[in-house]
Amino acid sequence: MASPTDVTTAAAADDPDTGLRAIRALRELADRLEVLQVTAARDRGWSWQQIADALGVSKQAVHKKHATSRRDR
Amino acid sequence: MFERFTDEARRVVVLAQEEARDLQAEKIEPVHLLLALTRDQGRGGDVLRAVGVDPDGGRAALLRSGDPLDADALAAVGIDLDQVRAAAEAAFGPGALERRAAERSGHIAFADGSKRALEEALRYVLQLKTPRRQRAIDSGAVLAGLLAVGDPLVERVLRRLGCDAESLRERLGGASAA
Repeated sequence: MASPTDVTTAAAADDPDTGLRAIRALRELADRLEVLQVTAARDRGWSWQQIADALGVSKQAVHKKHATSRRDR
Repeated sequence: MFERFTDEARRVVVLAQEEARDLQAEKIEPVHLLLALTRDQGRGGDVLRAVGVDPDGGRAALLRSGDPLDADALAAVGIDLDQVRAAAEAAFGPGALERRAAERSGHIAFADGSKRALEEALRYVLQLKTPRRQRAIDSGAVLAGLLAVGDPLVERVLRRLGCDAESLRERLGGASAA
């Protein structure tokens, strides 16, 4: 498997095919990490508004994305 | 729009949602339409089977082509997925990175590419030299629409299975075929 030191990062700048594929993967990774961090924040008693502020999005957006599977809306 | 679909084409749409749910996807992506078409018994499925694409092959090719957490793609921008995974699991337990967002309640939305594939299926049918009343969207049209969108993951899966969009289009025929 490729490691960051082996693969040239020129791909990120020059080649849209690889670059855009990387963006897509980054978004997926960010989504997964968001699930973990939002859950952790809620477990610590953060409000949806506080989480939304930290993420820089609206409370509605966070609620819609993360509240549907939880009991404590 | 679905009123113009044949029963088999509607079934492809339903199967695509099943595939998306089985694979725990957020939305119904074009590649789920492709997997659904491999299970189709109509024209769309026939064309795929004629070039050796079957349900098991399709699923296997997708698993090898399209892990959403694309390690190589992330490495290209300097991210070591193994390290991120290790850190996530250290903090949140095994399989932390594999957890998706909210559980699916049943209905899964179509991704934009899938919506466009179905629009292209309609466009394909309208271009055919068939009488107006026969312009139903069958599973062959759904396949044509899917190919017209040119989704990168669909193309990667088809390449991995040893076929390409162009030869599939030729087999489907239609106004734009040679």
